[in-house]
Amino acid sequence: MDLSFYTQEVAPALLRGLWVSLGLILPSAVFGLAIGVLAGTLRIYGRPLWKRVAEIYGLLFRGFPLLVQLYLWYFGLPQLGIYLSPYAAAVIGFSLCSGAYHAEYIRGALRSIKQGQLQAARALGFSRTRAVVSILLPQAIRRALPGCGNELIYLIKYSSLAYMVTCIELTGEAKILASLFFKYLEVFFVVGAVYLALVSLASWGLRRLEDIVSIPGFEYVRR
Amino acid sequence: MSRPEPILRLENIHKSYTGQEVLKGVSLELHRGDIKVIIGPSGSGKSTLLHCINFLVTFEQGRVWLHEQEIDPADKPRLHAYRQKVGMIFQDFNLFDHLTALDNVQIGLVRVKKIPKRQARERALSELARVGLSDHVFKYPAELSGGQKQRVSIARALAMDPEVMLLDEPTSALDPELIGEVHAVIRNLAAGGMTMALVTHEIGFASGLAKEILFMENGLILEQGTPAAILNNATLDRTREFCAKIARLHTGGREPA
Repeated sequence: MDLSFYTQEVAPALLRGLWVSLGLILPSAVFGLAIGVLAGTLRIYGRPLWKRVAEIYGLLFRGFPLLVQLYLWYFGLPQLGIYLSPYAAAVIGFSLCSGAYHAEYIRGALRSIKQGQLQAARALGFSRTRAVVSILLPQAIRRALPGCGNELIYLIKYSSLAYMVTCIELTGEAKILASLFFKYLEVFFVVGAVYLALVSLASWGLRRLEDIVSIPGFEYVRR
Repeated sequence: MSRPEPILRLENIHKSYTGQEVLKGVSLELHRGDIKVIIGPSGSGKSTLLHCINFLVTFEQGRVWLHEQEIDPADKPRLHAYRQKVGMIFQDFNLFDHLTALDNVQIGLVRVKKIPKRQARERALSELARVGLSDHVFKYPAELSGGQKQRVSIARALAMDPEVMLLDEPTSALDPELIGEVHAVIRNLAAGGMTMALVTHEIGFASGLAKEILFMENGLILEQGTPAAILNNATLDRTREFCAKIARLHTGGREPA
């Protein structure tokens, strides 16, 4: 086995790709969560119009395959005179798709909180919006965390679709490298292992987060 | 001699749930220091009445005044200000599960009254001390007993400086052993001159506390009067029957007045 192939060729290319992947995943995770919290909250507590908008958003972005969405952003929008960079198209595509799934977890979590707390907050003089934001959402986000975490793990892996819109991230670099040296087995195995490492790190971090924000006496706390 | 204006007045409240009329025109006045206890069988509309007073449910007909200012539920800022003046205690406490006892009391001060955090904290601590919970301020609701939870909820309401307190069966979700501590807190409030409307089945407690007892059934106040008049000398057969029934459950003397 020729180790220099890994050190000379694989490592630099994949490292370059890894940075691009992280550059896609991190902002998409943040925007996706923000969109999800907003859309999920509107689904339950929004005015009828906003509720409807959030519903249609969820339907569209969970209904269209992600790859189709990316193609629409990158190859479709130019027909309307809107040109996005590959990176921008990917981040927008990932955030909107991810947000649609997060919204479902948040919606479910909001529904699981007893209405009494909302009543109590309103009885103290909270407006509905303020009560939802400062009383219900902090609890709902905690309850949605396992589901949202799962969605973040999906995001790590579907970030590999970015190379389909010419944003060369980890998988894209691997594809180029593998076809250049005709070493598909080796290269994709290494790439798979890198994703596995990212996912493991994310799962560990998410579990830690769940424990940190758990409410004493109310939720199971790992010790 | 004309009486001074009531703090809170409601007139002819009608409320239906899916076609079923649960309040059929209820009127009520609360003057400063009044303690009115509402009794009656389940489904008579007692809880709904308290919820209507606070506009926590919408109702089809009826008007509410605080200090002769009519409350329009569509005027949100005024409604929110009104609710701060009318403290509400729920049967199942409704504490905010993700907040400590201290934060439960403090959050309304910070988020609604916009009081600086340090001042809010001091106020919250003093309210918790007033209900005897100084040793439990950093506990979460799930770590408190039912009686402690209800006392936190009373502290939370008191921190908003209410002029009136509405208590909806504050002890009916509690172990018999824990009822006393909540009753003691309510008695203290009464002794401090707080104006209250209290829904309860604890007839012994009610008679020691109430200036007036109101008997509700089928969405109407059927009879009202002093505790002695209602409990021992009611005019209506139905009132007598109901009072006798719950008096048998709560055999007298358990609640020294």
